[in-house]
Amino acid sequence: MLGLLFAQVPSSLGAEDDLSPPRPASETVDFERDIRPIFERACIDCHGPEKQKSGYRLDSRNAALNGGDVSAPNIRPGDSAGSPLIRFVAGLDTDLRMPARGEALSTEEVNRLRAWIDQGAVWPESASPPTPDPLDWWSLKPLARPACPPVSEAGWVRNPIDAFVLARLEEHGLSPAPEADRRTLIRRLSFDLLGLPPAPAEVEDFVNDPAPDAYARLVDRLLASPRHGERWARHWLDVVHYGDTHGYDKDQPRPNAWPYRDYVIRALDEDKPYGRFVREQLAGDVLYPGTEDGIVALGFIAAGPWDLIGHAEVPETKVDGQIARMLDRDDMVANTLTTFCSTTVHCARCHNHKFDPIQQVDYYRLQAVFAALDRADKSYDPDPALAQQRAALDRRLHRIKARKQDLDAVLTAAGGPELNALDQAIAAARDRAKTGQRAEFGWHSAIESAPDTVKWVQVDLGEPVAIAAVEYVGCHDDFNGIGDGFGFPPRFKIELSDDPEFHDDVRLLADRTEADAPNPGVKPQRIEAAGGRGRFVRITATRLAPRQNDFIFALAEVRVFDQEGRNVALKATVTASDSIEAPPRWSRINLVDGYAYGAGESDASKETGAELERRRSEWVAANVPAELLASLETVRREQQETEAAIAALPPPRKVYAGTVHSGSGSFRGTGAEGGRPRPIHVLARGDVRQPRDEVRPGTLPFIPGTPDEFGLPNPHPEGARRAALARWVTDPRNPLTWRSIVNRVWQHHFGRGLVDSPNDFGRMGQAPSHPELLDWLASEFVARGGSLKDLHRLIVTSATYRQASVVSLDALEQGRRIDVDNRLLWRMNRRKLEAEAVRDAMLAVAGKLDLTMGGPGFQDFVVEKPEHSPHYQYHLADPNDPSLHRRSIYRFLVRSQPQPFMAALDCADPSMSVDRRNQTLTALQALALRNDRLVIALAAAFAERLTAESTDAGSRIERAFRLALGRPATPDEREALTGYARQHGLPNACRVLFNLNEFTFVD
Amino acid sequence: MNNSPYHRLPPGPPGFSRREFLWRSGGGLGGLALTGLLHSQGLLAGEPDAGQIPANDPSRAFVYPPKARRVVQLFMAGAASHIDLFDHKPALKQRDGQPWDPGETVELFQDGHGATLASPWEFRPYGQSGKWLSEIVAPLGAVVDELAFVHNLVGKTGVHSQATLLQATGFNTPGFPGMGAWVSYGLGSMNENLPTFVVLPDRRGFPSNGAKNWDAAFLPAQHQGTLVRVGAPNPIEALHPPDTGFITGAGEADGLSIMREINREHAAQRPGDERLEARIRSYELAARMQLAAPEALDLSGESPKTLERYGIDPTTRQWPKEINAAEEMDRFGRKCLTARRLLERGVRFVQIWSGCDNGFPRRNWDSHEDIERDHGPLALGFSKGAAALILDLKERGLLEDTIVLWTTEFGRMPCAQSGRGRDHNPFCFTNWLCGGGIRPGVTHGPSDEWGYKPADRANPTQVYDIHATMLRLLGFDHTRLTFRHNGIDRRLTDVHGKVIEPLLA
Repeated sequence: MLGLLFAQVPSSLGAEDDLSPPRPASETVDFERDIRPIFERACIDCHGPEKQKSGYRLDSRNAALNGGDVSAPNIRPGDSAGSPLIRFVAGLDTDLRMPARGEALSTEEVNRLRAWIDQGAVWPESASPPTPDPLDWWSLKPLARPACPPVSEAGWVRNPIDAFVLARLEEHGLSPAPEADRRTLIRRLSFDLLGLPPAPAEVEDFVNDPAPDAYARLVDRLLASPRHGERWARHWLDVVHYGDTHGYDKDQPRPNAWPYRDYVIRALDEDKPYGRFVREQLAGDVLYPGTEDGIVALGFIAAGPWDLIGHAEVPETKVDGQIARMLDRDDMVANTLTTFCSTTVHCARCHNHKFDPIQQVDYYRLQAVFAALDRADKSYDPDPALAQQRAALDRRLHRIKARKQDLDAVLTAAGGPELNALDQAIAAARDRAKTGQRAEFGWHSAIESAPDTVKWVQVDLGEPVAIAAVEYVGCHDDFNGIGDGFGFPPRFKIELSDDPEFHDDVRLLADRTEADAPNPGVKPQRIEAAGGRGRFVRITATRLAPRQNDFIFALAEVRVFDQEGRNVALKATVTASDSIEAPPRWSRINLVDGYAYGAGESDASKETGAELERRRSEWVAANVPAELLASLETVRREQQETEAAIAALPPPRKVYAGTVHSGSGSFRGTGAEGGRPRPIHVLARGDVRQPRDEVRPGTLPFIPGTPDEFGLPNPHPEGARRAALARWVTDPRNPLTWRSIVNRVWQHHFGRGLVDSPNDFGRMGQAPSHPELLDWLASEFVARGGSLKDLHRLIVTSATYRQASVVSLDALEQGRRIDVDNRLLWRMNRRKLEAEAVRDAMLAVAGKLDLTMGGPGFQDFVVEKPEHSPHYQYHLADPNDPSLHRRSIYRFLVRSQPQPFMAALDCADPSMSVDRRNQTLTALQALALRNDRLVIALAAAFAERLTAESTDAGSRIERAFRLALGRPATPDEREALTGYARQHGLPNACRVLFNLNEFTFVD
Repeated sequence: MNNSPYHRLPPGPPGFSRREFLWRSGGGLGGLALTGLLHSQGLLAGEPDAGQIPANDPSRAFVYPPKARRVVQLFMAGAASHIDLFDHKPALKQRDGQPWDPGETVELFQDGHGATLASPWEFRPYGQSGKWLSEIVAPLGAVVDELAFVHNLVGKTGVHSQATLLQATGFNTPGFPGMGAWVSYGLGSMNENLPTFVVLPDRRGFPSNGAKNWDAAFLPAQHQGTLVRVGAPNPIEALHPPDTGFITGAGEADGLSIMREINREHAAQRPGDERLEARIRSYELAARMQLAAPEALDLSGESPKTLERYGIDPTTRQWPKEINAAEEMDRFGRKCLTARRLLERGVRFVQIWSGCDNGFPRRNWDSHEDIERDHGPLALGFSKGAAALILDLKERGLLEDTIVLWTTEFGRMPCAQSGRGRDHNPFCFTNWLCGGGIRPGVTHGPSDEWGYKPADRANPTQVYDIHATMLRLLGFDHTRLTFRHNGIDRRLTDVHGKVIEPLLA
């Protein structure tokens, strides 16, 4: 059965052997009668409203005559023989036969098609379905503020939200639930607004507060708490898919991502107007220059995963490198449109959007907005004064350098050919010195945890050779700031032998094993061998060189010279006790490749740079006018002073952001071109190998009267593109932005949005349950200047929000009969707490919550093997380590290895935009809540707290209920748990409380 | 009714329609059982909002008589060389050391374009089918007539991370469910006391992208692969509490009983919220899993003959630091035997990894420097266990409805890199499948004389085709097994995929 072949044989047309198409029919062809039935039977499934394979469809005249990715136009009126469509359906094209599936066209049908085309391919306009208005969709209609509807039970209405909700309830014969009791309300508000349970004293104060404004004051107090920003920032970070590692291969950490996370918390706490919040994240550097927030907010653009290898190891000249960068921009585009506009634009990467009015060209216009950017660390000064000072010094330095250039030009002109020759020689010498770091660093041993491991490397000369000398050169690697002499062992010896094992007949050429020798850096070291004979030269380190917290042996080059002075080691075979083999940098073959760092300088036939510089100074002093010399000296001094002043400033901070990157190697970025955006083309089927027309930056055609292209002047700075997009997103006329955000806020107060697909307001998403309420909220939000805190206040003070989740059995029965989903909100939804709220609540209840705000995330794992692909080992972290007891928003988020406890509780996946959490109830979740080491540790801490705060067993259990559940224990509960604690210990009783349904659900 | 802990949940809470809640939270009962339930209650047809959620209804896709019920995926991380294992190329030997020129510009990942490199291993034919195999996968010779080879797989890029994701999830960016998650979503559980989708990682660590390869992504979390670290002291995370001194068996039982009572009282005061009852049950199922999982993972009752067949060394021994065949066999064999025990007990999908991430010294198949050094032990290691698993499944009558799929990230180049290694080849590589309705003993889609690209470049096989074929054998139309996420009806096969009919028995 070997080599079974399955060539697809199309059903025969009877014209298989004939290379010309069948003859056309002679009578007049009518499209509706003769042609459309063929298309509908054989073509429309793949080339119609459902699918447009190869970007081609046969259900509308324009698309059929002009469209298609591959061979458009596929129908050439008057020329059936030249129409690709005929070639495909007649089976004349061996690569492409149509239809790909199903029965082929009969000869008669092909003839009919030919005749139709030859007769001019008449396709009456009336035969095409009417094109629906692409903007005729609820979310794309202009935002208008609806009037409050009339209701009969007006007494229930606390604010306009209630009128909209009640009107729908009354329409369906439903009535709202009574208001929840105060104990329920304060727990609900605390978790909603802060993500933490209320303290027992806060509960009692509120329950006993007789003032009519007690509720309003509670809301104000909670909204003013810094815990509020921490709570709601998590919702935002879910959507923007923020993480602290890159993801993909190696999943390296991103140590400077957190300033963006802190920015979101700060913005929410400060109630930054939403429009500004959005604009800062897309173009804060351009629109709000000189502000810290304007820079760190750009972390939004870089929040998602990044393919390190696809960028750092593959240049943009390769297809794989282009794909990696195209996918990287795709993530930026999708993040922007999904987050701010609840629009799924990325379908249009490969084809026009099937459901929403988004063309491929629109999508690539959006890619053009980000075409200059990469994800990288961006430096900034948080102190505006310092930023100004640095900018002023940078400008000054720039001026000085320009002046120096002018003076140098004068000097060059005055100096003539002699000076010119010297300058060229100096430049060449500098190049020689600099070309060092080529990619091939040298040979590198395995990494050891102690210095006293013996390691060797040896060269096989192929046959015994009489040796004059051995030369060796140290490496250069900036790792850990080491530089020259990287990996050079403080103790070593050099030996010669004919025995590859170096057991017999070993001749010692150099012995530095008794005491630590100074590191020679990258300067070649020569050992005379006085004609000793041997086939193998071995260098053995008896003490390894320190690296970070570990030890290695590395060498750049070994040369072995014979009596004629030839390097006989060049390209010889190298063996070693071990080798990390990380080519191109580190490989055994690099040891004898004839290249070492700074090799140019050692070339004895050339003058060194220093010698040339000295000759040049002598020449200048002798030949250049004193006045010019003085000016040159002034400029040199000024440059030195300015550079020193810059160096004296505190170092700038860094944020991982979308930025113009100036890099080296494969990951160069656009910095070297001054941030000029990469050209962006429409890509047929999203394939980088099939570029079509180049596009200019622009956006979606969703605001009537605004152009899809930004129409920026040429040339323009790249930031102008982002600024234009930011303005479009936050345009008060943008139909999506304002509806999107009020819906997200609503969702987190009620458990589901008015639109239940918060990331998608398109035709594949859900329709709003209360379209007028959504529009009223969005309009009100815009009118109030985009204050999120006002929006929260409006929602949580409504009677709708204050409803009980528990209703009478009658009301339940009626509600479920009429509206089983509770879409109409005839009561409050009971909500299951997210992973973060569960963890934070346990920490708070146990008395262990550390409320330190901001800064680098806490790492509840131990990193192993950091040098290649870090292994994030959660099970090695100490659950009692107080530095891990901060709020969950500050957890360091690893993309490739999710935290097991948080993942079991459905925490968000930072590799994708999460608009609403999954809510599962699985056995693994139960196991995590019972057995996770942090839960156990906190149960013990909770017990200690209770023991310290209360004296007897009964009151400890009572206190435990008030802390964990915000209510007193019932007599039965108190008795049961007191007995249990007596028998099995208070920590186990605390564990029971952590695992109760009531701990995880909020009424 | 099936009450799996992973496929949980009775009808939904207030605030969500019952059906929607079920699908959003994972269906719970396993797609098919659930669909039956919904049909029996008239929920699929009669509700006012019918038509809003069917995108997330896997039963729509279950349209073929299923041939298979279980899947094992053997995944070689780092990219295993097809031309040194399964795709015999005499031309490489004939022209060993000569310049390699396929007649077009070759874009290599690391520019490792050396001379033509013969495989360091001999090939010879095996079985009735006469399929040529390399000596380092010789153990597979015993089952070669069960296997169906596909030699013209093509990838999208030569970047490890993207390629791993593509083979594991059908997409080359993160954020998509692993194929095991899709199978779990589609078919649900056969044993409520064990996970539906189990991942057996390499002992040395995770492959590129880590858990993203077996993530549930937007599918509900119970479809995510559950890690089982074979041979580790705690093979399943949090299955048992750590040793703290205050947790005892009696205390656990009493605690669960008190919890249940308080939870029942709490639920009774809140009628109509089935989540509360479901959560109570999840604790009972967790307790059952605490008994079922250790039993399933315990190899001590297996006979010496079985252990030997799987290449397992029953003695506890210290392994050398360097990569070696005996250790690879032992470790991989243990995973294969564990897989058989899990499959027997109703686990749907087992994913077994050979090799982990890219580092030095090599701990996966990414042999840029020296094919012989890494591929030799890794290949002997996996092929011994894989052959034993196939034979064992066959003897137990399980192979007929279990698909075994061998895959990797991409292939490796016919030319040398660094003398004895090979660079990435995303343009051509091999998969093989067997069991579960796969036609045995066939070879489909040859590669060219070098193993550089498919022989028929216009008609390569893609991962989508493999996935479509697998889903077909499980009973699904791959174009209809969808889940709506952020406005897109997502599929394992994206918008591609053709069932490879010649591979169907």
